[in-house]
Amino acid sequence: MSVLQSPSEARTVAARVVGATKLYGRGDSAVRALDDVSFEFPAGAFTAIMGPSGSGKSTLLHCLAGLDTLTSGQVCIGDTDVAKLSDGELTLLRRNRLGFIFQTYNLVPTLTAQENIVLPLRLGGRNADPEWLAQVVAAVGLADRLGHRPAELSGGQQQRVAAARALVTRPEIVFADEPTGALDSRSSGELLRFLRHAVDEYGQTIVMVTHDPVAASYADRVLFLRDGRVVSQMTEPTADRILDAMKGLGE
Amino acid sequence: MFTLTLKGLRARKVRLFLTAISILLGVAFVSGTLVLTDTVKAAFDQLYAGLTQGTDVTVRATSAFSATSTLQAGKPLPASLVDTVRQVDGVAAAEGSLTGYALMLDKSGKPIQPGGAPTLGAGHTTDPELAGGFTLRSGRAPQAPGEVVVDAATARKYSYQPGDTINIIFESGGQRRFTVVGIAGFGKADNLAGATLATFEMTTAQQLLNMTGQYRQIDVRGKADVTPAELRSRIAHVLPAGLEAVTSAAVANEASKSIQSALSMFTKIFLGFAAVSLLVGSFIIWNTFSILVAQRGREHALLRAIGAGRRQILGSVLTEAVVVGLVASVLGLALGLGVAAGLRGLLGAVGMELPSTALQLHARTVLAAFAVGVLVTLVAALAPAWRATRIPPIAALREAAAPVRDAATWRLIIGGLLLACGVAGLTRAISADSQTAAAALGTLATFVGVLMLAPVAVRPLVRVLGAPISRSVTGGLGRLNAARSPRRTASTATALVIGLALVVAVTVVASSIKASVGDVLDRASRADLILKADSQFAAGVPAGVADKLRTLPEAGTVSEMRWGMAQIGAATTPVAALDPATVDQVANLGIASGSVGALGTDGILLSADVAKAKGLTVGSPLTVRFAQTGDHQLHVIGTFTDTTLIGTPYVVSLGTYDANFSDRLDIAVLVKAKPGVSTAHIKRLAATALAEYPNVAISDANDLKDTQRKSVDQLLGMVYVMLLLAVVIALLGVVNTLALSVLERTRELGLLRAVGMTRRQVRSAVRWEAVLIAAVGAVLGLILGLAFGAAFSRALASLGIVTVDVPIAQPLLCAVIAALAGVVAAIAPARRAAKVDILRAVVAE
Ligand SMILES: Nc1ncnc2c1ncn2[C@@H]1O[C@H](COP(=O)(O)OP(=O)(O)O)[C@@H](O)[C@H]1O
Ligand SMILES: [Mg+2]
Repeated sequence: MSVLQSPSEARTVAARVVGATKLYGRGDSAVRALDDVSFEFPAGAFTAIMGPSGSGKSTLLHCLAGLDTLTSGQVCIGDTDVAKLSDGELTLLRRNRLGFIFQTYNLVPTLTAQENIVLPLRLGGRNADPEWLAQVVAAVGLADRLGHRPAELSGGQQQRVAAARALVTRPEIVFADEPTGALDSRSSGELLRFLRHAVDEYGQTIVMVTHDPVAASYADRVLFLRDGRVVSQMTEPTADRILDAMKGLGE
Repeated sequence: MFTLTLKGLRARKVRLFLTAISILLGVAFVSGTLVLTDTVKAAFDQLYAGLTQGTDVTVRATSAFSATSTLQAGKPLPASLVDTVRQVDGVAAAEGSLTGYALMLDKSGKPIQPGGAPTLGAGHTTDPELAGGFTLRSGRAPQAPGEVVVDAATARKYSYQPGDTINIIFESGGQRRFTVVGIAGFGKADNLAGATLATFEMTTAQQLLNMTGQYRQIDVRGKADVTPAELRSRIAHVLPAGLEAVTSAAVANEASKSIQSALSMFTKIFLGFAAVSLLVGSFIIWNTFSILVAQRGREHALLRAIGAGRRQILGSVLTEAVVVGLVASVLGLALGLGVAAGLRGLLGAVGMELPSTALQLHARTVLAAFAVGVLVTLVAALAPAWRATRIPPIAALREAAAPVRDAATWRLIIGGLLLACGVAGLTRAISADSQTAAAALGTLATFVGVLMLAPVAVRPLVRVLGAPISRSVTGGLGRLNAARSPRRTASTATALVIGLALVVAVTVVASSIKASVGDVLDRASRADLILKADSQFAAGVPAGVADKLRTLPEAGTVSEMRWGMAQIGAATTPVAALDPATVDQVANLGIASGSVGALGTDGILLSADVAKAKGLTVGSPLTVRFAQTGDHQLHVIGTFTDTTLIGTPYVVSLGTYDANFSDRLDIAVLVKAKPGVSTAHIKRLAATALAEYPNVAISDANDLKDTQRKSVDQLLGMVYVMLLLAVVIALLGVVNTLALSVLERTRELGLLRAVGMTRRQVRSAVRWEAVLIAAVGAVLGLILGLAFGAAFSRALASLGIVTVDVPIAQPLLCAVIAALAGVVAAIAPARRAAKVDILRAVVAE
């Protein structure tokens, strides 16, 4: 928790799901991707979501981020009930209050790194705060790559551009879905250190889906899912403890 | 492989249809034109077959060549010949007949002038069988001098019934009043190929039509035991020189041929428009297939990797092209029937009424539709299909995005050379008169050069054109996307370039013509009044008009001009006739050598250009063949430079005309007022004097300029409608390209939506992209069109374009509208882009 947060932002919960249930398909063949999940994501903290493949991690993240809707239950970003928002309001929510890092294909190929980073601001007709931009760019170590297009950047660099973009609007929460999934271990380390840095230095809230125990070990707290249910939690995780826990889940 | 292709096609029905549309319209135009031609021909064939029914052989004057005008058909023959023919063994009946000029007036006194068909007067045939399809529908035959039978179409349209009085104008003597005693039809038709017909008792007809004691032809029916051919040869034996006997079958055949040749100009024009839309369409096909092949690069590579041969890949792409072509052909053919009906209506609207019959769909039309549709599609898809076979199997393993290839060097070199040659040609055409070849070759080379260089020009063009919108985020994205695949943008825009360049060039030429009209007339005419028939379809004004004007004391000089067809060398060409004594007072022919006064009865005046081309000088002999009188050796008495008033490079005297043509209709009568009489005054006097000639338009110089400008505008309007089709097809191409691009960018669009792009912004970005693609086409089309138009205006100086006027506002407006039409083209693709499912897009597959 950062002492820099103003009183009005001094919420302790950045996002909350209550009784979240998501069904795919209908009738007997319906898949229960989320089954009555309730959880509060603490503000200013780095939360990792783990679980075996198909356990509902991505589904949970997408529903949290307003990219997908629940079958039943509630999702709140801050005080905002996501289900009550129209498509336009959801778009503005994503643009102004959320940040995203996907596993692949994070960048618009026609735009330079710099243009990709400031894209959410430009979409809102705003200009970047130059100091903040410089700070973020320096932190991801991309100062000399800003004029390059995605095709001219390595996978790790691309993911760091995406991370910078996710942070540039100073969003309430950054959602990351397996951001290191396609990276080698060195690039993964760079990206994860940067995310950790954002939490520690700027009080950024981050929710990250991963199945890599090493990646999850950068988080403050790990949430374990199986078959769409929350099965356990862990604070101050280490890679070894996570690995053990995962074994317990049957991975 | 084949089933795979077909499965793929079924999954892409909408795309298939959109692609087919681009060729469909061209196919529709081709088949529509053919259907119309066949329909018209069938209608006339039916009509003539009906008319000649009951007549086996026709006797008439031999014609040195077949003149197109009905009124100038053949020299009259003596009435006494009928008895000679009757005595021939095997003749059952023979009767003389005659036709000439007779213009009926409606009940309010306005002339009844059909478009494109003559106004005929004729003697009423008494033998019902010889009359063929011509039969009385009501009333009776004319028996007294003041009686007339009117064709059923005229009677119906202008509500004439037996007992009504009707006024009719003849070549001489002004209006006469008749009583309608009967209404006649032609078989099932109400009139003869659109012509109006008034029939009179035979002797009266001979007087009215200036053919006392004469007939135009003799119709003969044989006894049952003689064949028409045998009868024809028996009659031929008794005929004096200069006359011939022909079977009815031959007459009907001639008529059918002349109808076809009259239609051939329209056929050519319509097929020309069809060619333009097919050209535009083929660019779209080429582009669409290029995109499809690029998008399926991985699929093809995978197929290659698992063992498909190059030939199979080629086959699968070409199969798709054939299916697209077949769809376009079938739909185009169906639409073609509609087009034919529409064109018939259009011809009717401009006054060319055609006899009606069911639309004729011949096997040839179906064949042509399929050949055109499938071949054009196949040829256009050939290059992309070839490219598809070049994909190495290893590409299946590489990253999806196909590398953007830079334009090949050879392309740049050849394109640059062509463009340079083209510009040189156009410059030459613009800087000197009548460089037709330079203009044509320059246009072609410039065009092909620009096509080849377009992919290189797209990036800078889009950057410049898109500069004003690049500040907005959607405008900026649109700009980037428009320049993303320069080849794709270039070939999409090219379709629009063709359409727009044509529109702009035509506008420039039309504007030059309009600007020239005034100058030309001021230079060529010295007359205060020019009188012409008020319908462009009328054969002329009766000679009585000039006679009447001569009675006005205020009219200083009245000089008439006539027109007739003659054969000079191999060509059938109009020859003008004028009065050598007075023409100098009313017109300035720009005499270069010799003098008009020397025309006499065996002289001919030539335009300086024609004289030079034929290597003739004053005194040279020139053989002219007239339809009625055969070959005459005239000699050149001079040359002149200004053909604009006369409209033909050959001029003879009125005396020569009268000796070789039987009609007495003036194409124009020019009047110069006595000194001190104002134009307005003489115009008023002429109007009063010619009250009984409502078919005459009295114009001073300004009226005439207005009329000519208006007729240019009218023509322009029709050309625009046709060319608009090409522009619409080009815009369909923009739709197609955008739709494919949107499909290709699903993930990117999803990403944009995920990071906060609203649907409205997505639509806006696609719209800007469309506008920029269209703008590239519009700008290139505008520039090329202006250059082509200026070059052709100058090249056509000999047609009377003395001033080259390059309008800016109107072409610019066309270009802006074309660019903005991109917004319309973007509607469907933009909507689709906005609907992209974010999750599907961002979740890694
Ligand atoms: N669009 C979909 N349609 C049907 N089933 C889906 C869909 N997306 C996910 N699922 C199913 O929901 C369950 C959870 O998926 P997901 O959240 O992607 O798991 P994870 O990210 O943990 O691997 C899985 O069983 C998956 O098959
Ligand atoms: Mg997942």
